[in-house]
Amino acid sequence: MRATVGLILLAVIGVGVGISLLAIPFGAPKTEIGDYYIENAREDTGATNVVTSVVVGYRAFDTLGEVTVLFVAALGLGAVLATAGGKRGRSGVEPASLILSAGNIFLFPLILLFGAYIFTHGHLTPGGGFQGGAVIASAFLLVYLSSPGKRINESGASLTESVSGLVFVAIGLLGLTHGTHYFLANFLPKGALNTLFSAGIIPVIYCAIGLKVGSELAGVVDNLMEETE
Amino acid sequence: MVSPVLLLAVPLGLALCVPLVGRVSRRAAGFVPVIASLFNLVVSIRLLPTVLEEPIVANLGGFPPPFGITLFAGPVGMLLSALIALAGLVVSLYALSYIKTGPTVRYHTLYMLLLVGATGVVLTGDVFNLFVFFEILCISSYALVAYVGDRAGIEASVKYLIQGALGSALLLIGIGLLYGLFGTLNMADIAARIDSVDSVPVFVAMALIVVGLGVEAAIFPLNAWLPDAHSSAPSSISAILSGIAIQVGLYAVVRMVFTVFGASSVLLFFVFLGLLTLLIGELCAFAQNNIKRMLAYSSIGQMGLIMFALAIATTGSVTGGLFQMVSHTLSKALLFLAVGYMVYRSGSLEISSLEGMGRRMPLTSFAFTIGVFSLVGLPPFIGFPSKLLIVRSALAEQGVLLQVLIGLVLLATVIEGAYFFRVIQTVYFKKEEGQEARQDAPPMALLSMFVFVAFIVVIGVYPNLITDVLESGASELLERANYIGSVLG
Repeated sequence: MRATVGLILLAVIGVGVGISLLAIPFGAPKTEIGDYYIENAREDTGATNVVTSVVVGYRAFDTLGEVTVLFVAALGLGAVLATAGGKRGRSGVEPASLILSAGNIFLFPLILLFGAYIFTHGHLTPGGGFQGGAVIASAFLLVYLSSPGKRINESGASLTESVSGLVFVAIGLLGLTHGTHYFLANFLPKGALNTLFSAGIIPVIYCAIGLKVGSELAGVVDNLMEETE
Repeated sequence: MVSPVLLLAVPLGLALCVPLVGRVSRRAAGFVPVIASLFNLVVSIRLLPTVLEEPIVANLGGFPPPFGITLFAGPVGMLLSALIALAGLVVSLYALSYIKTGPTVRYHTLYMLLLVGATGVVLTGDVFNLFVFFEILCISSYALVAYVGDRAGIEASVKYLIQGALGSALLLIGIGLLYGLFGTLNMADIAARIDSVDSVPVFVAMALIVVGLGVEAAIFPLNAWLPDAHSSAPSSISAILSGIAIQVGLYAVVRMVFTVFGASSVLLFFVFLGLLTLLIGELCAFAQNNIKRMLAYSSIGQMGLIMFALAIATTGSVTGGLFQMVSHTLSKALLFLAVGYMVYRSGSLEISSLEGMGRRMPLTSFAFTIGVFSLVGLPPFIGFPSKLLIVRSALAEQGVLLQVLIGLVLLATVIEGAYFFRVIQTVYFKKEEGQEARQDAPPMALLSMFVFVAFIVVIGVYPNLITDVLESGASELLERANYIGSVLG
């Protein structure tokens, strides 16, 4: 009975969404707003990567919100695990094989470097703060897998998280007091296109996001690793 | 001029500071939400006279709509943000003495982010931005429901998480469809173009969005998570979830249906849905033996009443609906705060265990009684003018149908009165075997309860204090052409 009702509901939603999708012209010329972004993004934001100019330029406020969503999720996970189970050690875990632990020694700094490259060049090449942060967190995941005794410096991670979040908000507020008087306005000089030091506040924000996302996801890995036994 | 974006940026910045403050002193971390809410309350009240003349439209990043994100601070937005800040302030004062154990620093951070999410939803003028703030609101609520860490709390939180996540997914699909259809995310821009496409896809998008938001707004039949979540959460969180979170969800539904879709043809459906939610909520509340579950079901009923009033869509009824929102926030938050310490002292959630509380905790019981009288709608408390306005404006409408429906609303109020007075009777007039020592709630908790009591009585006696704001709020919701005009210029 429940399965039937569920299937019928699913069918109704499926048909409804299907009908609506038919009304949306795929492959047709871009929308007015899309055209505007493609035409004006370089000039408005100074970023060569148009995706970045939308994410950290036109819709930077959404990005601030999304960073906060991730912050809330990581924090909530920490709070729930702390109250529900309490912290447990990882003593019973078998040590990893030689290949993994030796490979980790070489790879860990390279992965960190790659992550930092991704978020510092977000305004020039594909990638950005979220992607770079995820790469950085993967380096920490590798450490957890290869050497069970090691843990991240929790207080350092939460300090990075808070400070980089504050940098984002502070840049937004500086936009309100400097120059154009809009929150998150690009008040720094935009520089020459296609150079590392260009696009005003965008690389600064992306560095903050990269560090924040990296430390947050590393914290999530840390929290979940403790719960695996 | 003060920009409305400060209402979001400053509390968000302070929320990020809570873990830093917590390193220095765990106790000091609890004061950060107090400061942030106080700031928001002052700014909201300072902006109110300005927005009554003309809404403030803030273009973030300096990009004109529809290319950037806009905040729309009209009378409704400012009223609700002031209400969120007021409830946030009082409940954070209460939490100073109430939240003692567990990861308190994380509690205060999540609590602040919940308030930021709620404020963002009421201020934004962009559908995707609405989704982002809605997620902040919901995810922090999921975590806070499980804060106590007992089995019931975790179970309630997981239920809430699953249903809420499903709702969010539907909401996102709906927003995606809207973006596909109109190529824009700005609410005013979508509203201006809504007639330019075929009505079937628009209806599907609206249905998905209303269902998605309806989970948080506790509209029947999407509210199965609510009684568990609101009763298992710490009482300070129950107060915010019942007083703020579900109303913000309802606001989002109303904003989408009224302003973005301009869907006057479906309003009768919402009138019936509201009535159904009201009756089911009150009947379920009547059957409860658990005091917090009773309050939670009563919140469902109140949401039904507010939705009923808003969906009638006359100036009077929408004013009444907004008034009822204010009244419900103050009364229900007060009730949860009072019950928090009553339950703490008696050690049980059963209504029967509250016997003799009138002597054991006289001040808390007094505050509880005021909350009950206000919620049921007795003069001279705030619930009376708000309910009276709803009934009067519904009766002013022609048509037998509405007269019958308003009869049912009054019936629901009678049921509400019946179960609440049963509790009052237990608190004051049931005999108690062993005489226990008088032990009231701590001073800070009492102070926060009596702030609510003061507002309930003052606005109840002088409803004119806020009727101006409520009336211009009603016209903001009903006149979508003005909304479109003020954003797009």
